[in-house]
Amino acid sequence: MSCGNGNDCDEVGRRRMALVVLGIMTLVFIVLSGLSFLKSRGQVTPDTVSFGSYKAADGKRVFQAYNCMGCHTMVGNGAYLGPDLTREYERAGPAWLAAFLASAGSWPTEAAVRTQLLNHDQLADTGTDSIESYLKKFPGAAVRIERRGGSTSFMPNLPFREGEVGQLIAFLKYTSAMNTEGWPPKVEVEGLDKRLLLAHGANTVAHATPAPAAGKADTAPADPAAHGAQLVKQYGCTACHSPDRKRLVGPGWGGLYGSQVKLADGSTVTANDAYLIESIIKPNAKIVAGYPSSVMPGSFGKLLKDDEISAIVAYIHSLEKQ
Amino acid sequence: MQIEYQTQRLSLRFFMLMLVLFLVQVGYGLILATQQVDPTLLRGVLNFNVVRAEHLNLGILWILTGFIGAILFVGPLLSKREMVTPWLIKLLFYALIVIVVWNFFTLRLAQQGIAGWWEGQPWLQQGLEYLEPGRIAGILVLIGFAILAYVVLRTFPAMREWNEIHWGLGIGVFALMAVWMFGLFYVERLDLQEYFRWFVVHYWVEGIWEVIHITLVGYLLVLMFKADVKSVGFAVFWGVTLVWLSGLLGNAHHYFWIGTPAFWQFWGSLFSALEPLPLVFCFWHIYLDAHQNRRPLENAPAFYFILGSVVLEQIGAGILGFSMTFSLTNVWSHGTWVTPGHAHLALFGTFGMLGIAAAYYAVPIIRKVPDYDQRLGKLGFWLVLTGVLGLGFTFVLGGVVQIFVYRTLGLHWFGGDVFPAMGLFKLLLPVFGLVFAVGAGVLAFDLFTLGRRVRAPTTTDSRTALTDAVHGDAADPRSTSGWSRALTGFEAGIWLMMMWVFGAIITLGLLSFNLPRVRVLGDPTLPYLLAGVGYPGLLLVTLAFVSRFLTSLEARASAPMAERPT
Repeated sequence: MSCGNGNDCDEVGRRRMALVVLGIMTLVFIVLSGLSFLKSRGQVTPDTVSFGSYKAADGKRVFQAYNCMGCHTMVGNGAYLGPDLTREYERAGPAWLAAFLASAGSWPTEAAVRTQLLNHDQLADTGTDSIESYLKKFPGAAVRIERRGGSTSFMPNLPFREGEVGQLIAFLKYTSAMNTEGWPPKVEVEGLDKRLLLAHGANTVAHATPAPAAGKADTAPADPAAHGAQLVKQYGCTACHSPDRKRLVGPGWGGLYGSQVKLADGSTVTANDAYLIESIIKPNAKIVAGYPSSVMPGSFGKLLKDDEISAIVAYIHSLEKQ
Repeated sequence: MQIEYQTQRLSLRFFMLMLVLFLVQVGYGLILATQQVDPTLLRGVLNFNVVRAEHLNLGILWILTGFIGAILFVGPLLSKREMVTPWLIKLLFYALIVIVVWNFFTLRLAQQGIAGWWEGQPWLQQGLEYLEPGRIAGILVLIGFAILAYVVLRTFPAMREWNEIHWGLGIGVFALMAVWMFGLFYVERLDLQEYFRWFVVHYWVEGIWEVIHITLVGYLLVLMFKADVKSVGFAVFWGVTLVWLSGLLGNAHHYFWIGTPAFWQFWGSLFSALEPLPLVFCFWHIYLDAHQNRRPLENAPAFYFILGSVVLEQIGAGILGFSMTFSLTNVWSHGTWVTPGHAHLALFGTFGMLGIAAAYYAVPIIRKVPDYDQRLGKLGFWLVLTGVLGLGFTFVLGGVVQIFVYRTLGLHWFGGDVFPAMGLFKLLLPVFGLVFAVGAGVLAFDLFTLGRRVRAPTTTDSRTALTDAVHGDAADPRSTSGWSRALTGFEAGIWLMMMWVFGAIITLGLLSFNLPRVRVLGDPTLPYLLAGVGYPGLLLVTLAFVSRFLTSLEARASAPMAERPT
């Protein structure tokens, strides 16, 4: 292959031939590229997809701003710490995503997803406010709630601003609708139990499936504070509110009861029963200084009975004494 | 050999900067490996995505810094005159530092979701894999490339006097800048954005970096072995031609699943299967050029890293790349740990090792210590080679488990289902990472202090001393037989064939995920078996071949040889 022996290699001719072949290939590449993005192909574009008032095009900017691709893959490209996000909307649905993204540090419970369903954007998008039909429509959400609900996740809580969660859902709705030519491959092994058995072996499956405790507490303890502790777990409150003074997504509860709370409008209130009840029913009425508004869903007033709200307040009260 | 042109000395600061950036990048890599084991580590302080952005970004920047150093060192030799405008080169050096510091502060804004949107563009950071920095850094980098292209092209002689090496480097530095521009605009459609993102990533790596790589390897061999420029030039010409003929349409292997039409699967599978051809070609030439004359190895670490570069290019880019380049295997490997296995070996192996090789060639000459103590350099080489091979093969083996649990069984709870299944490989990452980091530390220390350390008083030169240590008495007849006998072309061919046999087993392993037995019944025996044979087999053959090649070269120093210079 060497041309060092004084042979005539006809270098000029070979160079010219290589350039001609390269030119033909460039032409092929350009033609294929042109065909790839023709309108007639029917590939979905972000300007046509929205979730409620949120646009997928804005969601893509949010997706990039938080460098989601630095942990997850999207259409298979990115990092491999977390799962691929291309079909997440299709699998889990917008209510599960909304419940999860607002407080990514823990996995949503059924109550947390039910809470999201009361949002009118969710109603418009999923066409239902009943958790049963939602879980039927998005079976991935049902499996997630049952297997992971209430446990901690590996994802950090992200400081989403107002509307960003909705925009991300719109973006994920767009990617779910994309035609990716059969990727990721369809799962053909039947039955979740069988698949879990294949992945973990017989001994570990029992441990790998946590008891589905969420949302199924029939027996309410007599002590209101203990009842409240049970409720905040069920409704996923602790995903955003820590039992101590730590800031998660919302303010921590430790030592909150009876303290002076500075509000975003500059005034100060005492954290008494009336204030706490109002904050649960109408979260945006009094926003604590330094926290964004419209993050906490405004639907707990409808989900919780009055005595349940009082029990949660009693629980928060009990945290002060520790 | 000594410095012929004063501006060659400018390369020294780039090599030193390269080593600093390399060490920082390895540090980030160790954090990533530990976060793979415990994802809650540093959560909220330094999230995985920020560490990874730094890891990828520094990886690109230090490889480019090494290229710049190497080009500055050989530029005056190729042009037979000083580099023009040395002040611009100094400016380029400080610009690189500014870019690194700027990225350090802007990439972490991803934790707050700040991209710096203005006029529809993300100015601070843009959250795209490999292209994480925002427009401000992007434009600074573009200016840097423009300076490099200007300096190199102005220094080169008139175009009619160019040989293949001039052409390779000239096209390389110009195209670096041209291709970068495709990453400098925001694209709203995801499919179109990914389409253009691979323009930058693929055409850089498989178009331009590879051209610079082939050219620099060729010229370093000319310098080290006095190989014939004409013959190397011929190899460079065909190498570059094959890279482009296969790589131009080979880019299609990135367009299988991003929302572009299915016809890319045909074109991508066909042409990127040809992409190993130039690598086999380059591999063969390093054998020929290194064995053309039987000179003893004067600067062993420099050649060690050149060989490492060409061999890991063969393994990482060639074989591992080949195994996942077909749409039928890629549909499984895509988006799993199989990919970073290929990426670590191909990127650090091919391009990183070349930068280190150039540094080992140039630094002793610039510091006037031609007979430096080579032991640390060799130790560093074996540590980083073992470390990076270990990392790569941990990734691919873990990736095969991931494919089964995540894709075939469809279990997508990473914390609950996928991570526990990959547990062993998760743990091996920081282990091999540590081996690699120690090696990186050793060779960086060696190059920082080369010529400045107090040398142990030896009567014989250190090269011979080491050979003695390895092979016993220099006059031992065994030194020209067994593992250290001269490597024939036939034997080198057998080694190469063994690598590809294991490569074929690996490819079949990925392909076997399509079988109904695996896909429908969920029986992973066949893919696990093929991966369990293929990957470790390839790893061992690679280590053994590098050891065999280097031992045979080392033996020349001790073998009585007519050509041996006095």
